[in-house]
Amino acid sequence: MLFEEMKQALVAAAKKAGLEQYEIYYQNSESVSADTLKDEINAFASSVSGGICFRCIVNGKMGYASGELMTAEAMEDMVQRAVSNAQVIDSDDEAFIFAGSPSYATLEAKEVKLSDATVIRDNALRLQKDMYATDSRVGDGTQSSALSIVKEIHLYNSNGLELSNRVGMSGAYTEAVLRDGEEAQQSFEFAEGEDYEKLAGLPAKAVNAALDKMGAGLVDSGKYDVLFDGEEFRNFLSVFSDAFSAKNAQLGLSLLAGKEGEQIAAPCVNVIDDPMREDAPIKATFDGEGVATARKAVIENGVLKTLLYDLTTAKKAGVESTGNGQKGSYASPVSIAPYNFGLQAGEYTQEELFQKVGNGIYINECKGFHAGADAVTGDFSIESAGFVIRDGKKAEPIKSFTVAGNFFELLKEIDSLGNEVRWGIPMSFTVYGAPDVLVRNMSIAGK
Amino acid sequence: MISRALAEEVLTCAMTGGADFVELYGEITRNNSVQMVDGKIDRVSDNLISGVGIRAFLDTKTVFASTSDTSRDGLIKCARAVAAAMGEMRTVEHIRLTERMFPNIHPVKVMTTDVDAKIRADLLRAGCFAAKEYDPAISQVNGTLLGVDHTIWVANTEGLYTSDRHVRTRMAIASVASAAGVNQSGFNGPGAGMGLEFFDTVDPAAIGREASRCAMVNLKADYCPAGTMTVAIENGFGGVIFHEACGHSLEATSVSIGASQMAGKLGQQIANPKVTAIDDGTIAGAWGSVNIDDEGTPTQRNVLIENGILKNYMIDRLGSRRMGMPMTGNARRQSYTFEATSRMTNTFIANGPDKNEDIIASMENGLYCRKMGGGSVNPLTGAFNFSVAEGYIVRNGKICEPVRGASLVGTGSEILQNIDMVGQNLERAQGMCGSASGSVPTDVGQPLIRVSSITVGGR
Repeated sequence: MLFEEMKQALVAAAKKAGLEQYEIYYQNSESVSADTLKDEINAFASSVSGGICFRCIVNGKMGYASGELMTAEAMEDMVQRAVSNAQVIDSDDEAFIFAGSPSYATLEAKEVKLSDATVIRDNALRLQKDMYATDSRVGDGTQSSALSIVKEIHLYNSNGLELSNRVGMSGAYTEAVLRDGEEAQQSFEFAEGEDYEKLAGLPAKAVNAALDKMGAGLVDSGKYDVLFDGEEFRNFLSVFSDAFSAKNAQLGLSLLAGKEGEQIAAPCVNVIDDPMREDAPIKATFDGEGVATARKAVIENGVLKTLLYDLTTAKKAGVESTGNGQKGSYASPVSIAPYNFGLQAGEYTQEELFQKVGNGIYINECKGFHAGADAVTGDFSIESAGFVIRDGKKAEPIKSFTVAGNFFELLKEIDSLGNEVRWGIPMSFTVYGAPDVLVRNMSIAGK
Repeated sequence: MISRALAEEVLTCAMTGGADFVELYGEITRNNSVQMVDGKIDRVSDNLISGVGIRAFLDTKTVFASTSDTSRDGLIKCARAVAAAMGEMRTVEHIRLTERMFPNIHPVKVMTTDVDAKIRADLLRAGCFAAKEYDPAISQVNGTLLGVDHTIWVANTEGLYTSDRHVRTRMAIASVASAAGVNQSGFNGPGAGMGLEFFDTVDPAAIGREASRCAMVNLKADYCPAGTMTVAIENGFGGVIFHEACGHSLEATSVSIGASQMAGKLGQQIANPKVTAIDDGTIAGAWGSVNIDDEGTPTQRNVLIENGILKNYMIDRLGSRRMGMPMTGNARRQSYTFEATSRMTNTFIANGPDKNEDIIASMENGLYCRKMGGGSVNPLTGAFNFSVAEGYIVRNGKICEPVRGASLVGTGSEILQNIDMVGQNLERAQGMCGSASGSVPTDVGQPLIRVSSITVGGR
């Protein structure tokens, strides 16, 4: 196969260059997707893309080079580029080519394959038909898409470590656009799965969510008790997960630096990073450096138990790598990231949480985290939409307000948690999950 | 990369599924970046992207396939996949291509990606060290010097065979200022559609100092109060307001399927008469400029809004078919794995009639946003948000104390009417815009403007 050929070319070139410590990381992805508009498939796409990253240690420094051209000459050139790039590095961080973990988890022996193009087309079409059938106000702009992706990874290094992983996922998303008079509203929903039964709930969910937003008004600025829907709170975890990176902590870019063992959150807060979470569509058995992944409690009863480490930061801190040195794509440098990073469920149903709020705001739509939240400072000010909570019940919809605060303060202020964790859409090997979260006395800016 | 003969063969093969048009896009891109953190060169990334994307049209239906296997076999396999997904096999005439050359209006002197990494590292050091030395409270500095050399080939069944080379250089520096357990950040990231000669026009040390200045202002700032107020937004990256609030809603991607608040509004007064907005992909050496777009259409200067009246949209080939309007040279894609769609290039509000000093003097109570961060928008409802990277309270026509953590939210149609003063110091700034066809370089820009009323998120 292709990887074996390229590996041999790289090993030969590395030998010629006198390299003793190097690693080859190969990733190949295949995907297929179908999009609909009105009542037909309007776009169908398939792709195959693969690339190789070669990295090597020269005089204690790590040099990287990568590319997609799979020829022996390209491999030779890649080794030369990596060697020359290593010579510019002046970081004192210790570089590692990993010797291997004592053992690695094994994935269940189920064949990972790309969904058939016909299944993908049928799923997209059925979703779209069901969307239009759900409500007469569903109109132009409504789209349904189905997709499937398979990713294969091979890691080989000069210590003889040889690992591979093949993962895949199928799913669908729907975007309902509804119009009522002058007003237009939309809602986006995603579900994982290849069988239509797993996706069948999407149209009603999307349509109802868009309908619920109709006629949304403005809210007065002020302090409110806020219930965040889990589907939105997980986005806070996504933005602020950078603060859990040991690299950021060591560089003074995280306010969690030096806080391991300290109370950083309310006692009801438990966060677990689990690369092998049972229901996760994509599981990782090893990280981008070849270290075995492991489940760990990051926050336990409000106490920060560990940051996330790769080999270099772990060595610096005198601890073991937590197996979080990931590569987002074949070309990415190793960078610390979580796997299934989830705030654990609490004890209350959503209705009970509405009652606990009494009078306040329920937020189920947040936008612009990349701009409105800063992982270094913890500050956030986020465009939101949701509902008024009145007398313990969900009341009229509201829009165009911001919720502002500081994430690290918010962690300590969490009052109670919902009893169901809602997981997001996986990006590479990372996905975030959270239950509904009640926080008292948040700043809301509206009219 | 792809000879004319091979392109003819591939296009002919892809047509056998019954398409009425097929386009072949190929690219070789060298992405080269040096990163510095904590005073040390930490990473050098050096990636060579190569692949092709083939897209077939039948009316407004599309089939797209892409592959990183650029061998003849790989291309033919990809073309067959397109044909098979389009429909029943039939025989077609051999496609004939004619090579076409477009003038290069963005000549490059020194290819950044070819320069020894040591020289690039020295430039970055100059920027990062200046940022660190700005103030003892600057606790961390993070910098990147990026060089991109992007060559594209476009061939289509209308007979076009052409190529173009897009070169970009950018230095981005992020500074963190710390005091008493509080971190505040500042960012500055200028770039251009130029080679290393970009640094003849901008001093790396000045880039770094500006990032640190912003971080220091924020360190001394209190939280911004929340509420509805009059806001003045400074030039340069302040233009992100137009980019988010209006630009995305003028892209054919959403307009052509009726998913934009701006659909069907050509010729209507959609903004205050002081507002004229332009998308111009032809500005020499600009970050968002290209000679031809990713469908092979030459870029142009499009007046989108003139004196408040909606004049045009940004339209790619598929949008053109759906809308029955001409293409505008706005088809863009991050790479061969994405299908091109309508995107912005260099988009800005033109200079207006008001003197800058009058704008500030006119504000009794409000917020002056000297620097904006990023933002996002929902094109359907026009609801947008963006963050204020450096803001000050305005009291009695005077700029007073700095405030931090503010964001602006509203809807596009509202804010366009509420831009009631437009100043005269137009300047552009650089960003990466993420949307359906991936992340592409765009310039935003404007002179100082006043928004009579907008919701400011703070606490």
